[in-house]
Amino acid sequence: MARNRYNIDEVLETPFDIRHLKRSFKYMNRHAKKMIFSLVLSIFAAVSGLLGPIITQYALDKTIPAGDIWGLLILVLLLVVTIAVSVIFSNIRARIMTVVGQDIIFEIRTDLFKHLQDLPFEYYDNRPHGKILIRVVNYVNSVSDMLSNGIINIVLELLNMFFIMVFMFFVSVTLALVVLAGVPIFAGIMMLIKRRQRKAWQQVSNKSSNLNAYLQESITGARIAQVFTREEENAEIFDNLSNSYRTAWMKAVKYSNMVAPAVDNISMLVRAAIYAVGLLIISPAGVTLGTIAAMTSYAASFWQPIINLSNIFNNFINNIAYLERIFETMDEPVTICDKEGAYELPEIEGNISFENVTFSYEEGKTVLEDVSFDVKSGESIALVGPTGAGKSTIVSLLSRFYDLKEGRITIDGNDISNVTLHSLRSQMGIMLQDSFIFSGTIFDNVRYGRLDASEDEIKAACKTVCADEFINQMPNGYMTEVNERGSMLSGGQKQLISFARTLLSDPKILILDEATSSIDAKTERLLQEGLFKLMKGRTSFIIAHRLSTIKNCDRIMFIDDKGIAECGTHNELINRHGEYYKLYTSQHEEISV
Amino acid sequence: MFQVKWIWENLKGYRGRYVFALTLSVVCNILILATPVLSALIVDGYLTGDDALFNIANKKGTLILLILGLIAFTAVKSLLQYVCCMSYEKSSQGVIFSLRTRLFRTVENQDMTFYDEYRTGDIMTRLTGDLDMIRHMLAFVFRGLIESVTLLLAAVVYFFVVDWKMAICILALTPLIFIISFRLKRVVGPVHMRLREKLAAMNTAAQENISGNRVIKAFAREQYEIDKFGRINKEYSAANKAASLKWLSFSPYLEGIAVSLSAVMLLAGGIFLITKSITMGEYIAISGLIWAVSNPMRSLGMYVNDTQRFMASAMKIMDIFYKKPAIKDPENAYTPKEIKGDVEFKNVSFSYGNTKVLKNVSFKINSGETVAVMGETGSGKTTLINLIPRFYDVPGGEVLVDGVNVKKYALKSLRRNISMATQDVLLYSDTIDGNIAYGNSDMPEKDVYKCADFAGASEFIDKMPEGYDTIIGERGVGLSGGQKQRISLARAIAVKPKILILDDTTSAVDLEMEKHIQDSLKNLGFECTKIIIAQRISSTKDADKIIILDDGKIVEMGTHTELLRNKGYYYDVFMLQNEGFERSEG
Repeated sequence: MARNRYNIDEVLETPFDIRHLKRSFKYMNRHAKKMIFSLVLSIFAAVSGLLGPIITQYALDKTIPAGDIWGLLILVLLLVVTIAVSVIFSNIRARIMTVVGQDIIFEIRTDLFKHLQDLPFEYYDNRPHGKILIRVVNYVNSVSDMLSNGIINIVLELLNMFFIMVFMFFVSVTLALVVLAGVPIFAGIMMLIKRRQRKAWQQVSNKSSNLNAYLQESITGARIAQVFTREEENAEIFDNLSNSYRTAWMKAVKYSNMVAPAVDNISMLVRAAIYAVGLLIISPAGVTLGTIAAMTSYAASFWQPIINLSNIFNNFINNIAYLERIFETMDEPVTICDKEGAYELPEIEGNISFENVTFSYEEGKTVLEDVSFDVKSGESIALVGPTGAGKSTIVSLLSRFYDLKEGRITIDGNDISNVTLHSLRSQMGIMLQDSFIFSGTIFDNVRYGRLDASEDEIKAACKTVCADEFINQMPNGYMTEVNERGSMLSGGQKQLISFARTLLSDPKILILDEATSSIDAKTERLLQEGLFKLMKGRTSFIIAHRLSTIKNCDRIMFIDDKGIAECGTHNELINRHGEYYKLYTSQHEEISV
Repeated sequence: MFQVKWIWENLKGYRGRYVFALTLSVVCNILILATPVLSALIVDGYLTGDDALFNIANKKGTLILLILGLIAFTAVKSLLQYVCCMSYEKSSQGVIFSLRTRLFRTVENQDMTFYDEYRTGDIMTRLTGDLDMIRHMLAFVFRGLIESVTLLLAAVVYFFVVDWKMAICILALTPLIFIISFRLKRVVGPVHMRLREKLAAMNTAAQENISGNRVIKAFAREQYEIDKFGRINKEYSAANKAASLKWLSFSPYLEGIAVSLSAVMLLAGGIFLITKSITMGEYIAISGLIWAVSNPMRSLGMYVNDTQRFMASAMKIMDIFYKKPAIKDPENAYTPKEIKGDVEFKNVSFSYGNTKVLKNVSFKINSGETVAVMGETGSGKTTLINLIPRFYDVPGGEVLVDGVNVKKYALKSLRRNISMATQDVLLYSDTIDGNIAYGNSDMPEKDVYKCADFAGASEFIDKMPEGYDTIIGERGVGLSGGQKQRISLARAIAVKPKILILDDTTSAVDLEMEKHIQDSLKNLGFECTKIIIAQRISSTKDADKIIILDDGKIVEMGTHTELLRNKGYYYDVFMLQNEGFERSEG
């Protein structure tokens, strides 16, 4: 799939179908008992509510004309009881359903979030993060009412309709048919509106997603915008996105708001038809005036549930646009996952071998071709070579961030695609090029490497990477709150923290990908002592440009042209007078001018 | 009710339409009240009246006219309702559009202190969820309130006309509704505030999780993240339940009172009927309209509840809305078209909170010069360069560009002439072309290529599947560190600045490429002052001046040869980086 950005609508790859509904039922099923109980309560409440008019009617017809004040008082009391029952039952139902609705979206959100954790890098690399975010937060929130109260209300209204229909047929079949004649007309109109309405709401969800994407990037990139004085232009882009959202919304409500007037007019037409048919055509011969009067009131009560249903339906159409996006994300394939029968990788000794590894990120663009090498336990390997040659790819493959096209990688003889991801990655310490800082304290950021680490261990790790000093100078020391965009930390400091984090995790295999690029030479020098201590007894891979870091590794691999161009110790490679030699001498020249 | 006033201010441009919508609401509700009157003509004349049979036989024409009238009436009424609805939508969308775009501008122009304080997810909540509450208030709550008031007033007036005793009996319960609503308002406010906080917390948590997905995978911390998010999700869910349940603990009283009107009606009306103080006709007239009192009473609580939610959201929005960045254009700002590029620091001191970062720094750079800044991690290098485009204001000393204090410049005039490749490379999920031309979107393609070439990026870009049209992931994920740095460099060069600041821009670039970049920087084809932060001697040795920072102070300053002779920090670094060669060759 092509990469997406803020101004590209996401194509919906799985159109909505009945399966989505079934899936929603899966979430509702867990609360089936509560939902059914609520439904029963609602029925009682509704019946109790229906008793009111009957009591009133009786009082007006019998008790009051008889002047029976005591009788009246009893009836009023009875009326109050029915009201109380109806109100209390409705309230209990509402309480239950509030909890159910919230539980359902809690579960959907949890599942969605869990699934997101399993999705590979590509998923995150291929779209603006704001578009993922809006699904987790906003979209999930939108569907709560639909999946809880919505369903119950549908059942209630349908029941309601059914009973009124039965009454109508009892009173007069002809007039009942007149009333029902309105239904197909209404259904036709709804179908007509529905198609457009659904498209329109999908657009709304698209546009809000775009808006969110741009918003998030603008906030994270606010400083860049200021550096390049792009504020005005960005604001205009945002205006356009906001405007597209508004336009999409207006278009959607244009259809949604048609439903109510349509119902209104049709129900009026039906009433008019009852008068016309009843009074003008068949009255003198058949029906009594009382029948017509009863019929008009039934017609009104028959259309009320239809109005309610159409409102619910409206809501559904609107929310399905969100629901299908949620399910779409849940259906996103987890390309890298534990194989069936995957086993826990035993404690790593550190013998690694790449066997005829071929890999490409995109079809037809091979990054590594037929790469084979062995690394013995405890060996340190430096990967050098031009940027983009595939150094990071090699270490990414070892952590199984991507799956191979051909060949295999083994650790202590275990094919890494046969072991569980967690057992593999949790034994590796990977320090990435981007040193991501979570918002929270510095302490927590380091602790991320090993959650059960003690305070002393955390401080020791920071000391080893020479971060202790600057951390102690910060306003609250280790408890200083930092965040990703914040100005509290310099690039080098972020790297040191992220280094300490890796160190703390006590990995069996250590991978440093440009881990020290932003750290100054002197600190790096100090760091190296700690680093060598750290590398002792662990297999390690180091990607760096500084030869001082590289030289001390057991072996150096020069990566170029889809594979290993040269491999050996520093001295061996120098004597070879190849690519590494060229690199080395160029740096030498550079410095010793 | 400051929030309501605020929203009225921001209705500007849509006020007419909004007032029109409110007016239509009143009209429509009066029409709704009038509908039964029309149908009563048919019912009384042709169904229940004494001469109904006679009328059916002899006044068919009138009946047909009445029926047609009823249809026409409904058509007109529903058309008006539709127009009314759309007017609400249009004006409320208009308001949130203008609020959203204004908020965006405010956020965009904030200084770093703002971004230190507010988390991304929190700001996003304000511009999305909170704004939606404003829309809800305008399109739903205010509308409901005015409709309720209309109905209530009309019904009450009607009741008094029919029979004042009955009217008073019916209204007897109203004070209770107000008392309960008032209590509700007080109790439910904090609950909504809390809910609002939890929503922002969830947004923040999810946003960080998504941005940090690589680190999470690298440390196999998925389960930890799931647990962490699970807690926040649970808290949000609990806050949501608490808010609803709080409302539901009030609603049965309100609902009960509203529905009890029918009991009041029966009791009072029955007694009055028995004592013959009202007629059956009057009773039916009043009971037919009792809903016009009970519905508004029933909804009042809901509106109060929603209003409190609105208040919570509006507070959050206004907090940002009125935020003025500390760093802004001065009065009578200096707005030169172009600057020369002289930079001078005069006794500049700077601190973040209590931590002193720069101490009494002074130096001068003439336009066109290249200056390198070196120093240990955290010695204040990045802070120093951030002061030139005035990302921070200095409390002590002066930062001058072309001899004028940067505080005197219009920010735009100043920053337009400065460009920067920041240490924390931040690319956008846009095409490579779009990223390079970020500072100048009208840039012709061939200039984009040229800049990429200068930055040593053209080779790998050409190898990408769609070349310059390749969309890169957010923050440039998917590219290697060196590739990102080069695109960021190309972006900085592309605007042809008078002052070019490179903050450790080649740290992840290999040496050969670095050499290429050094050469390009010497022959950019336009005159500019270059300030380069670097760790490698190879990047700094050709500079006209090298500044060594240590703990916020300038400890050495001079050319490569001068500093080597100095045998200080620079010399040490030189030796460190050179050491390996000596050993292996000597």
